[in-house]
Amino acid sequence: MKRKLRVLIGKVGLDGHEVGARVVAKALADAGMEVIYTGLRQTPEMIVKAAIEEGVDLIGISILSGSHMTFFPEIIKLLDHHKANDIHFIAGGIIPAEDIQALKEMGVKEIFPPETPTSDIVDFVKNLVVKN
Amino acid sequence: MGDEKKKVDLEDIRKDWEEKCLRPVLEAASERRGQFSTDIGVNIERIYTPLDLQALNFDYQEDLGFPGQYPFTRGITPTMYRGEPWLTRAYSGFGEPQACNERYKKLIEWGVDEIVMAVDLPTQVGYDSDHLMARGEVGKVGVAIDSLRDMEVLFDDIPLDKLKRVSILGNSFGPVALALFIALGEKQGLKPSDFVVDLQNDILKEYVARGTYIFPIRPSVRVTTDVIGYCAKHIPHWYPCTLCTNHINAAGAGSTKATAFAIANGVCYINHLLEKGYDIDEIAPLFTMFMDERSDFFVGICNLRATRRVWAKMMKDRLKARDPRSMALKLTAYSHGGETLLEPTNNIVRITLAALAYVLGGVQFLYNASYDEVLGTPTEEAAKIALRTQQILAHELGITSTIDPLGGSYYIESLTTHIEKQILDEFMKVEEIGGAIAAIEKGYYLSAITEGANRRQKEFDKGERVSIGVNKYRVESKIPFGAFRIDPALEQRQIERLNQVKKERDRKAVIETLEYVREVAKGDGNLVPAVLEAVRAYVTLGEICDVLRELFGEYQAREYFSSKGR
Repeated sequence: MKRKLRVLIGKVGLDGHEVGARVVAKALADAGMEVIYTGLRQTPEMIVKAAIEEGVDLIGISILSGSHMTFFPEIIKLLDHHKANDIHFIAGGIIPAEDIQALKEMGVKEIFPPETPTSDIVDFVKNLVVKN
Repeated sequence: MGDEKKKVDLEDIRKDWEEKCLRPVLEAASERRGQFSTDIGVNIERIYTPLDLQALNFDYQEDLGFPGQYPFTRGITPTMYRGEPWLTRAYSGFGEPQACNERYKKLIEWGVDEIVMAVDLPTQVGYDSDHLMARGEVGKVGVAIDSLRDMEVLFDDIPLDKLKRVSILGNSFGPVALALFIALGEKQGLKPSDFVVDLQNDILKEYVARGTYIFPIRPSVRVTTDVIGYCAKHIPHWYPCTLCTNHINAAGAGSTKATAFAIANGVCYINHLLEKGYDIDEIAPLFTMFMDERSDFFVGICNLRATRRVWAKMMKDRLKARDPRSMALKLTAYSHGGETLLEPTNNIVRITLAALAYVLGGVQFLYNASYDEVLGTPTEEAAKIALRTQQILAHELGITSTIDPLGGSYYIESLTTHIEKQILDEFMKVEEIGGAIAAIEKGYYLSAITEGANRRQKEFDKGERVSIGVNKYRVESKIPFGAFRIDPALEQRQIERLNQVKKERDRKAVIETLEYVREVAKGDGNLVPAVLEAVRAYVTLGEICDVLRELFGEYQAREYFSSKGR
């Protein structure tokens, strides 16, 4: 039997808005994936540790506080450090267009702005993980 | 008898209309939708007539009455906006106190009545700017406040009595929030009686929406209610608690459930204070409520009217209030909800219409979102448009010439009564579970929120929830750049300022006042006087919260998300 995709949805920093994270987690779960949601107030260390322990294929971070340029490069660095670069990293939330390009160059696979249909995220995750 | 005859006549006329006028049209072409539904689950009829009001046993005096009188459906004062329009508020704050001070001065120049301080996330959860968890977050979603010194800079040249009200949310650290304003007033030579402060200070909703909690639920209720109790005894003209429906609805609950939960949260605070020996008429007038409806213009209007009626009846019948001020609920609202990232200038229209609904519903305190908030911190121009929109509504176009202009509309009164029933039913469900704290602990609030959030997303994905320029009439357009950037170097500068404050202050006073806070927190006395002493001595927010963390512990959210559940 084919193994189910495993996804870690996380909130990093002090941002308390978690509607988006929960809705995306539910949509991925409904699409047949195993989804772990970290809850609020995680550090990059906690996110990467949880991702490795849970053996996930992909990390999805929701962030609305504007602190993405601090936390995202750290998550990428930590994944490198733990030789866990095979874990994909996507994100969503309020991230200005000028940062999206920079973050993608650093290795974030995709960034979903508000108003994205959840089906786009589900399709992207499936394709990304299958392709690799 | 005459009424009875008229009713029969109208029913006949209606049937005749349906048969002869409506039916042929429907047979030729069906309506756009099978049902015209709302986010709160009420289906909207094709037309409303006196028959609908009769079916609901509508009674003018009992259901509406006159403004300024029970049950306050039409408004809480006898003159409403003819006396004075609602207070215009601006929710504003970013970066460092100095830069933010300049924005505040501009807002005052443009005529704002109240400034609501937006503070950064470390401040909101009681961390100083040098805390490990504050890294990357200082000054981001609001201004950084570590101590009284930051308040002095933020309000430099802005006497607090120059504003009609001034506010900080202070949900998890109400006593510190209150003390910061009392102490700042002292520095400006003002007594609390000279100015007006309002706080959100509503911790219970933070556990299910918004997330800026610090302590576990029960000690948090004490922290919140100590502020209300202190104001009741010493500063009864301040507003120490705003019961929030806004975040609960935004998270997914729907506006009527959100109102019911907010009232249940309020009843929890009130019961706590009654147990401590306060009288209902001493505390009830101090509460305000933060209303919210983002999906339907008319539900927005009726929600305010229904909520005033529910509150009035609840205070009178259930909590045995005698003072009409306890029954007349003052309402706040924040005009926003449907804003989009694509074509963001369209948001000006959305925000204006949201504001109009709250005005037609009889709001007391109003703030408008800026059209560019979807991109980040508002630019100066966008903040100005947000305020100007309110001023236009207040002073042009005759919107404020008469009280409750839609009162008596068959539709408005039917919808108001339906909403009132929904709020009461949902409130009773929370009561059956055991009240607000039980509803949080047993996951009842969160399940209502999650269910609604998933439903809304599905409606959006299917195109049933229309967002113009996004899922209808979409054209190829790029996501615009955020225009406002927060300087990343400010974090270090804020930490240096914090260190400077720590170096300059009286160390003995710091130790003594913190010890006083600890002693009071251990017992069940009111925390405010002790916290005020500490704030005056430039003890930081983080230091005070650390003492309380040590005694009360920290809230750990239990996670029950699984691939099967929610």
